[in-house]
Amino acid sequence: MPIQPKFTPVLLAAAVLSVSLLAGCGGGTAGQTAPSAGDGKQAASAPVTLSFLHWRGEDVKSLNGLIEKFQQENPNIRVEMQTMPSDQYQSGAQAKLTDGSSGDVFASSPGAQFEALAKAGLFTDLTGESFLSNFNESLIGPGKKDGKQLAVPFQLVYNDPIYNVKLFEKYGLTPPKDWEGFLALCAKLKEAGVIPIAFAGADIGPGQFMNTMVMNNLPSDDAFVQVGEGKAKLTDEWWVKTLSQFKELNDKGYFQPNALGTKDAAAGALFIQEKAAMLASGSYQLAQNKKQNPNLEQKLLAPITVAADKAKYEGVHTSTFLLAVNSKSKHPAEAKKFIEFLSRKETAGTYANETGQNVTVKEVQYTSKELLAAGEWSSKKTIFQPRFTITNGEIQKAVTGSIQAVLGGKSPEDAAKEAQAIVDQQIKK
Amino acid sequence: MRRSPVLWLFLLPGTLLYLVLFIYPTLSGMFYSFTDWDGVSPSYRMVGAANYKETLESIVFRKAFINNVKFMLVVVLFQTLLSLGLAMLLARNSRIHVLLRALYFFPTVLSSVSVGLIWSFVYDPSIGLLNLSLQKAGLESLALSWTGDAGLALYSIAAVQVWAHAGQMMIVFIAGLHSIPAELYEAARIDGGGRWQIFRKVTWPLLAPSATIVLAYTTIQSFKAFDLIFTMTDGGPNYATEILTTYIYHQAFGSYKFGSAAAGSMLFLILLSVLTALQFRALRADRVSY
Repeated sequence: MPIQPKFTPVLLAAAVLSVSLLAGCGGGTAGQTAPSAGDGKQAASAPVTLSFLHWRGEDVKSLNGLIEKFQQENPNIRVEMQTMPSDQYQSGAQAKLTDGSSGDVFASSPGAQFEALAKAGLFTDLTGESFLSNFNESLIGPGKKDGKQLAVPFQLVYNDPIYNVKLFEKYGLTPPKDWEGFLALCAKLKEAGVIPIAFAGADIGPGQFMNTMVMNNLPSDDAFVQVGEGKAKLTDEWWVKTLSQFKELNDKGYFQPNALGTKDAAAGALFIQEKAAMLASGSYQLAQNKKQNPNLEQKLLAPITVAADKAKYEGVHTSTFLLAVNSKSKHPAEAKKFIEFLSRKETAGTYANETGQNVTVKEVQYTSKELLAAGEWSSKKTIFQPRFTITNGEIQKAVTGSIQAVLGGKSPEDAAKEAQAIVDQQIKK
Repeated sequence: MRRSPVLWLFLLPGTLLYLVLFIYPTLSGMFYSFTDWDGVSPSYRMVGAANYKETLESIVFRKAFINNVKFMLVVVLFQTLLSLGLAMLLARNSRIHVLLRALYFFPTVLSSVSVGLIWSFVYDPSIGLLNLSLQKAGLESLALSWTGDAGLALYSIAAVQVWAHAGQMMIVFIAGLHSIPAELYEAARIDGGGRWQIFRKVTWPLLAPSATIVLAYTTIQSFKAFDLIFTMTDGGPNYATEILTTYIYHQAFGSYKFGSAAAGSMLFLILLSVLTALQFRALRADRVSY
């Protein structure tokens, strides 16, 4: 059917709006190889300007102070910080990094983003750099690939639910050691008229809470990696069991009503207003909660989904905010110098205490109750966030989608089957 | 063209902008749709039509397409009816009517992202204005999980889309109503026509050009409704509100599959073109001249 020429611009405009989303934002230099960044051993004496690209707008004030100190120490190096909201970072940062215009030092997330940037050769190999010894070696693994240290995770997050200590004390409750104990705890809270778990089912909830829910059900630490490789399935007993336990919590009313429609901010509000005893998020939320309700006393706990003697892990950790040197940087030596500065225990300590985030740097002294509460978990047996071991974004979405499907009324078996069908398509590609 | 060649110079800036901002991205998107480019790597491979095959076979793409069609049908129907109804009520140029028009037009000036964020809070089942109001009014049974219920979420967002854009379409209909000669109404009334008859025989046929614009614009707009869905549900829960634009976005920036996302964009372009052409054809056939 012919299209009238006078309407062609309308059609093209409509189409281009969607296409430009891709091509316009991509800005890739396809068909070429990345230039070498040099050995980075010598810092130039001429003044240079470093670009530091990341997504943590909330840390800007603290980082500005640290950058000022760094510049005093290194008068020839100027650091320009650029932040983008995390949503935009995913889509916008990669274009900036690939053309080398920004991000001499940049941050990335573990998982799919790290894998894509590594595949693109955007990381300078940091293996053997002396500043690596400042970090807790067991926490910087997510920045490694093929035996090379491509980035150093700077922040340490415990993706365990937060609980209201005073509310627990009021009802004589303590963190349980097994699944029966966890259900009993939730029952008691519900009886007392308190929402047991505030759950942001509409956005971050499934991706956060699944980690502690699955950690002790996993047959092996790389079970999700095996799902991605087709060697394990979401229809296997361990994931169906996890979905069943999600369903049990939902069916018994241990999440707030209509949890699937609740977003992060609203779930947080229920906890901050002390209407909910637990918040299914992670240690990154502790400082923010305290800011909004200074009377809160908070600690972390993880649901143990098995019998106490079968529990392999006490909680979940993620080392994130992976700092890296762009392989296209014209100033790799200066960029490394900046990371070295951030990795000093005094600098990292200032950052941690000012931003309320735990860090991966060794011997850092935390001052706030919240950081100390999260810090306690450094001696516990924690597993690296299982969700981030899924490096395919679509598989990750299918996994969290199956949790939403179960909370929406599907049987765990059907939800797992539907998610596995999407995984199967991904594996075939 | 017999006009002076100098006149062509005036067209040059616009043409260049159009080529750079519209034609080039379209062609480069088409090119990338035949590659396995991840959007980051400095190199890629040509993969032929593989991305198109995978996209058409994808379970999520099919869900997104079905959701898109449902969303479009609901939005087009209700937005057209609402904007036409408002236009009929507010076509007069008295002060109160102009004021009311401005009020109904107001949501159009807000950015879709702001609208999405505002309505996310309005719809929140625990602390949202809508459910709290229903509870206060003793209508607890109507307090639902507006964006959390997989069967309801898409329609809840469609309602916001209608709310946000009906005012804009109302203006188009009002302009159409003002262009209808008053003598035709007088003649129809003298002939003994009732309200419904006058609407059916006079107003609606002569509103066809406005309706064409409204229907075409609303169809395209509802197919491209990315911002609202991205801010309100990001395609969830469990793909219940995933539409083609969010699917394309997730492919490109969640899964780092630019080639596949570009193929999705091309299919989207074809679909939208066919749909719009069909619509213009159908509506042109209905036009009446006096």
